[in-house]
Amino acid sequence: MSAGSASATALQLLFAGVGNGAIYALIALGFNVIFKSTGALNFAQGEWVMLGGMIAAAVAAHADVWLGCLVAVVIVAAVGFLSERLIVAPLKRPTPMLITLLSIGLAISTKSVVMLALGKDPAGYPGFSGDAVLSIFGARVPAQTLWIIGITLAFIVMAHAFFERTILGKSLRAVAADREAASLVGINVRHSVMWSFVIGALAGGIAGTIITPLTFTSYDQGGLIGFKGFSAAMLGGIGNLYGALVGGIVLGLLETMAAGYISSHFKDAVAFIVLLTILFALPSGLLGRSEAERV
Amino acid sequence: MLSRRTAITTLLGAATAGWENIRASAADPIRVGTILSVSGPAAFLGQDMKDGAQLAVDEINDAGGIGGRKIDWIFYDAQSQTQQAIAEARRLLSNDGVDIIVGGGNMSGIALAIAPMAEAAKVPFVSTEGASAIVNPVADHRWTFKSTVDDYLVLQRAADYFDKKGLRKIALLADTSGFGQGAAAQLKIVAKERNLDAINESFAPSDTDLVPQLGRVRDAGAKAILCWTVTPAGVVFLKQAQQLGLDEKLALVHSYGFVTGKYMELAGSAAAKLLLLSQKFVVGDQLPDSDPVKPKIAVLTDSFRRRFNRVPNQFVAQTYDAVYLAKMALSNGGSDREKVRETLENIRDYKCASGIFSFSPEHHSGLAKSNVVLVNWANGRFNLVDYA
Repeated sequence: MSAGSASATALQLLFAGVGNGAIYALIALGFNVIFKSTGALNFAQGEWVMLGGMIAAAVAAHADVWLGCLVAVVIVAAVGFLSERLIVAPLKRPTPMLITLLSIGLAISTKSVVMLALGKDPAGYPGFSGDAVLSIFGARVPAQTLWIIGITLAFIVMAHAFFERTILGKSLRAVAADREAASLVGINVRHSVMWSFVIGALAGGIAGTIITPLTFTSYDQGGLIGFKGFSAAMLGGIGNLYGALVGGIVLGLLETMAAGYISSHFKDAVAFIVLLTILFALPSGLLGRSEAERV
Repeated sequence: MLSRRTAITTLLGAATAGWENIRASAADPIRVGTILSVSGPAAFLGQDMKDGAQLAVDEINDAGGIGGRKIDWIFYDAQSQTQQAIAEARRLLSNDGVDIIVGGGNMSGIALAIAPMAEAAKVPFVSTEGASAIVNPVADHRWTFKSTVDDYLVLQRAADYFDKKGLRKIALLADTSGFGQGAAAQLKIVAKERNLDAINESFAPSDTDLVPQLGRVRDAGAKAILCWTVTPAGVVFLKQAQQLGLDEKLALVHSYGFVTGKYMELAGSAAAKLLLLSQKFVVGDQLPDSDPVKPKIAVLTDSFRRRFNRVPNQFVAQTYDAVYLAKMALSNGGSDREKVRETLENIRDYKCASGIFSFSPEHHSGLAKSNVVLVNWANGRFNLVDYA
């Protein structure tokens, strides 16, 4: 193997890893937003990714890919909204444990409804630039990977602006920081939970629509991708917006590099061993702060 | 010398067996149990395989059953999970008291788990899954048979093709399921016998990125990639091989587990250069007229289309044939399981839709290498490329 081809291989793996990592980051962001507002882990997050891909594929079979993705993202956001309104909002005492358990039920029913409505066959559609492949310094990168990286970055920048600049975003942060204080100054805490579900679902839906042209999806793919996103969230520090980005990219790169340079037989294992090690050494993740609990 | 207890047990056993025979010989239905996965990752194969079995059972019952006894068909969905399938196999064997099991969850890993249970219960089991280890070594698998071709023979067939094209260095890209790893183990043997330089890479069935594996294969200088999976990851393999430009330089081959039009459509132009190792079913109409399997394929295609309003595939034939193999054995053995087993073992030159079956006490995998051909995907259908 010449030096040129070695660096091309490294670049190839880098793009693949960052592309996968961007998806993990989007899913992790969904986990974090809902965790911040409710203290719960939303296990339906992965199903929303799958739902986005499946709906986009169903629409794109008859219409434009962009239209399919748009419709899918809107529907998934609506599903997030309805999930909160119908399942979380009616709870008298919405404890984190209760919401976490309900989200598992939500995940299973989402999966079943998709199986019954859209079938068991794997689905996919062409990328946003067709099946175009770019050559970048010897590495061959599908245009869709660049779309994924770009859209993820744009979404995170927009999320940042939303939380820093808008009244609604600021009130969400206030609730995340201290529910009681926020409600004392007149912020509707329950509304902020609703918005966090919409944002979480939006992140999941977008992740699903941009990844499906590369990886395909089927009704039962939600669990695993949700788990990877959850790992990314833990790795970056649960509840931290930028932690999601860092955790996602690091996990994606670890997986890909491990498979490329060590052995494909241990691909999943290597990533999770590193994850476990980090969680033992830094339980609050790479960017997380340990919180002092009042007892 | 027989102890008294043994003698009594033997007598009691004989009496019960006699009673069983009297009870069963009436117009009681024959109980055939089937476990397939119509949900979970392997579901897209399961539905076709279930319909194939259903068609065969209904045909047999409409024609008067087996020796005047109707088939009572008991079907369970394994949900692509081995644990689930084990519970269902236990139920078939102890609660339902089936005379034979046909179909092992349409995943090799599941069939591998069911086989020892059937062995222990001394109930014949006709597996419709691929891995050689399901029936080998035969000494430990007296009761287990298989309606598919052995991985070993498929790989030998692939080696024939590589020989023809002068390809020595080949890479196997197998998934981590029983199906994929079964092939990986067999390739070691075949590579030694056929003097191939083989590289082995693997991926998880749910993997969505195979760039690292493909990069390693390319850098190792392989001339052909043999992909062994039944999951959508096989489409990712094709897309990413095209992305890396490997489809132009290397021979890409998929195993018989991937011969479904749905996958080819998903892969689009990435499948243009692909070859698939396949049983003859999908190219039935393109076979030479001298092929004895050709009319069998035509008959099944016709009746399946009339019943289910869609075109059957190789997986339909796999279970359809398995039910007919079971029928042949049951019509001779009835509820005498040992006799059913012996009959299965002595089936010779039985012409079915997926090929010509011959079993023997040394061979519980009924299809020979000659039942495998190479096909490609063009003009919206599979086409015969390499016949023998």
